This record gives sequence, C-alpha cells and structure tokens, in this order.
Amino acid sequence: MASCLDLRAVVMRYGAGPGAVNALESIDLAVEDHEFVTIVGPSGCGKSTLLYLVGGFLRPTAGSLQLRGKEIAGPGPDRGIVFQRYSLFPWLTVRGNIGYGLDEQGMAKAERDRIVDEYVQLVHLEGFEERYPRELSGGMQQRVALAQTLACEPDILLMDEPFGALDAQTRRILQDEVRRIWRRDTKTVLFVTHDVEEAVALGTRIVVMSARPGRIKEMFVRGFDVGDGEEFEADPAFAELKLRIWRSVKEEVEAARA
Amino acid sequence: MRIVPLLLLICAWQAAASFGVLPKTLLPSFFDVAAQLGAHVRSGEIFGHTAASFARAGAGCGIAVAAGVALGLIMARMRAVERAMEPILLMIYPVPKPAMIPLFMIWLGIGDFSKVAVIALACLLPVVVATFNGARSVDDMLIWSARARGTSEARLLWRVVLPSALPQIAAGVRTAIAIAIIVLVSSEFISAEKGLGYLIFSYGGVGADDAMLAIVIWLAALGYFLDRGYLAGLRRVMRWHAFAH
Ligand SMILES: Nc1ncnc2c1ncn2[C@@H]1O[C@H](COP(=O)(O)OP(=O)(O)OP(=O)(O)O)[C@@H](O)[C@H]1O
Ligand SMILES: [Mg+2]
Repeated sequence: MASCLDLRAVVMRYGAGPGAVNALESIDLAVEDHEFVTIVGPSGCGKSTLLYLVGGFLRPTAGSLQLRGKEIAGPGPDRGIVFQRYSLFPWLTVRGNIGYGLDEQGMAKAERDRIVDEYVQLVHLEGFEERYPRELSGGMQQRVALAQTLACEPDILLMDEPFGALDAQTRRILQDEVRRIWRRDTKTVLFVTHDVEEAVALGTRIVVMSARPGRIKEMFVRGFDVGDGEEFEADPAFAELKLRIWRSVKEEVEAARA
Repeated sequence: MRIVPLLLLICAWQAAASFGVLPKTLLPSFFDVAAQLGAHVRSGEIFGHTAASFARAGAGCGIAVAAGVALGLIMARMRAVERAMEPILLMIYPVPKPAMIPLFMIWLGIGDFSKVAVIALACLLPVVVATFNGARSVDDMLIWSARARGTSEARLLWRVVLPSALPQIAAGVRTAIAIAIIVLVSSEFISAEKGLGYLIFSYGGVGADDAMLAIVIWLAALGYFLDRGYLAGLRRVMRWHAFAH
C-alpha cells in the first residue's frame, strides 16, 4: 500500500545562475497515515520550503512528491497549513476566518455556523467571534489560524513553527491542544519546529535536518507514549531522547554558523 | 483648539481689509463675503447650483472608481495588460485635465457629458494607481492560505486581492474626490448654466469679488466636510483596518 506521503529525491533550488540558493538536496521521506512527524533543524535549512512543496505552493526543482500515490500538482483543501507567520485574513472576523474554507466549499449557512461554533469552542475563543485579527493577541490569532485550518478537515496537517512566536505558557497549552486534536481525529501531521522539546513532546517520529542545503540527517522514533498529561516529562526516556536529538541538531547549528 | 489658527487667519484678513492695507477691489472684507454667503443661503439660490455641481462630480468620480478599480486589479494580475496600459496612463498623468475640456466638448457636446467625462478622466488615475499598488502588494501567504482552503485562481481576485487592496483603494478614492471638485469648477467655467463653477465665474466676470469669494468658501467648506465624512465612514465600514490617523 502506498504511504500517505512519499517524497523521493526532492531537490529545491531558488533562483538560477550564480545567485541560486540550494534550499533542499535529495530529500527522501515517507509518512504513513496517522503519523505525527516533527521536523527540526537549524534556521535556513529549508524546513519551510519542505512544507511549501508538500502544500503544493512551490514546484520542486527535481524529484517527486506523491500524496496517496498521486503527484502533488498544486494546493488543495486535503492539506491544511498553518504558516510560520500569522496569516489570517485581516478583513474577516474570527468567525469569518474560521468559516473561510467552509464558505469556499459552498456549505449551507446553518451547517457552516454550527461547525464554526464547534471550532471556536475547541480553541477557546468564545466571545471573540466578531473580533477582527488586529484586535487579538498573537496567541489568539494563532489559535484562530489553527481552527481555520482544522475546520476544513484536511487529511494532512502541515504546521510551520506554529507556536514559534508565542510565550511559553500559551505554547504549552496549544501543544497539548494539538496533541489532543491529533489523538481525537488521528490526522497525519507534519510539524516543523526549532524547539527540540516540542519536537519530542509532539512527534511520534522526529526528523533532524542538516544545515543548508537541507538533507535528512537522522530520524528518531519515539518509542514511548506521552499520553495527555505532563507525566512524560519526568520520564527518563523522554529526557534521554531529547538529549540525543539536541546533540544531533547542535552539530548542524554549529555547521550552519561555521 | 484646532479652530484657533483658522480664526486668526480670518481676523488678519478682516483687519487687512478694514485698515485698507489692500484696496477693496483687491481684497473684499470678510464681513461682506460672509453677508453674501448668508444671502445666497437664505434665498436658497445656492442649493440648486450645489446640487448640479455635486451630481456632475459624483457621476464623474463614481465612473472613475468603478473603472479604476477594475483596471487596477486587472493590471496587477495580468502582465500583458499592465505592459499595454502603463505607457498610456503615465502619458495621461501629467496632462492638465481641464485643458482637455474644449476637446471633450467637441466630442461629447457642451452639456453634462463632457464635464462628467473630464472629471472621470482626472479621477481615474489616482484610483488605478492605488488599486494597482494595493493589489500588487498582497501578501503571498494570504494567497497561498486561500488556495489551500479551496479558493480557485479565478475567485482569488474577489476573495483576497480586492479586500487586501481596499485600504489603498480607499486612499486613492480620497484623492480622487479632491480632484473631482477641482476639475469640476474648471469644467463649469466654460458653457454651464448652473453649478458652483458657473457662479464663481460669472461673479468674477462682473467684478463681484465678495460674492465670488462667498461661493469659493462655500465650496471649500463642503469639500472639507465631505472629506471628514468620507474618513468617518471608512473608519466605520473598515473597522478591521488600523488607520494611520
Ligand atoms: N523565495 C526565496 N527566494 C530565494 N531564496 C529563498 C526563498 N525562500 C527561502 N529561500 C532560502 O532558502 C533557504 C531555506 O529557507 P526556509 O525558509 O525553507 O528555511 P527554514 O528552515 O524554514 O528557516 P527558519 O527556521 O528560519 O524558518 C534559506 O537559505 C533561504 O534564504
Ligand atoms: Mg521557516
């Protein structure tokens, strides 16, 4: 059976000639259904680029990207993405933003409103439905972005450092929320982060990328379950895995600096 | 507080007129001008002229906004149209539009059509430029975000490009409103039987400077309140946007 997502020898180069940037070099990655894959690597190693390719926003310079055995030809609602920067529509309210994808599907209003209400509750934004993005804090905006993406019920969730700009508490709460949603709906998730702890706390498999041009350096399978609480943090296996991954990432961060 | 400098200016004007710094034929006194304005308002005569003028300005500006937004959006999304239109627009930009009025009258007659057409042409450019710039600077992420949520390439224009460009379009329309009033008055200097420009021109022609200035001040005041009203309306309608001031 074909993997959910299958990347083979993917190369991505920005521009041409002497000014060209080799962002990704020969990426091979297969992701199975219901996996939660986290990707860590130094800044500028091509993590966002990798997600944009899977999202279908960019075309690879070489190689193939297949989704359930079919070549990715462009963006589609089967892959939901949360961007690194907040990218809500400033002219739509929270309600309008969360319902955006449903409107585009042509869903009837009553059904749409019911689903929007459900996701407003899921990300705890009751009472803010009629606010505009500029009236919300960064954490609230990112929760709206998450709800907007989830409301379309994509098969695959692509998340690009979604919590990178948030304070530590909000980040912890949202991590728990994403894990809960993933458990509930068992979606397939591709999650980019520069935070090793986040990578281990969320991912069932952790991919470490090399300094640019980005390649897959190492993969780690998290052999233990983290459950829903905080207990896993006291687990020596958690600390040990975190340390191994950090050592691997650190080499690359240093290589990127050199 | 904001009104103090304006009051000082009026006092200086009145003082200059009263003490004969300039002869009455060159500078009518403020009180005479105010009395003329009062008489025009009381007789109701000025309202018919105002309505005629604002109908022309409104029609010209309205046509310019509709055409300008459409053209600006198409130019921003289609390179070929941009390349074809850019030299034409850049050539038209510096042309003083009132100078085109005689030509427009030959083409469209001496009635309202030629006046509205000149106003529309003059208002078109700021709207096109603002729309084009607004539509060009749409955040890629918003386009991608819409595409990933099922918006087709064709619907992007309506769902993302136009709303993102709205703040800039609104600023362009504000400029267009000011231009409409300026060009309106020039267009009414020639061959109009009604309108504020016509009044200004006929009073000027017979040396009734106080009456002429009264109409100019009336027009300036209307223009000011129109602009205030427009901005206040925008703030309400575009609550989602953080206006600079
Ligand atoms: N549009 C572009 N044109 C040219 N080069 C680009 C473009 N986008 C990205 N790059 C380059 O490609 C490389 C990878 O960029 P990318 O944004 O994928 O990195 P990243 O791993 O997501 O970094 P970060 O962790 O800082 O977000 C970088 O060196 C960047 O300069
Ligand atoms: Mg990135």
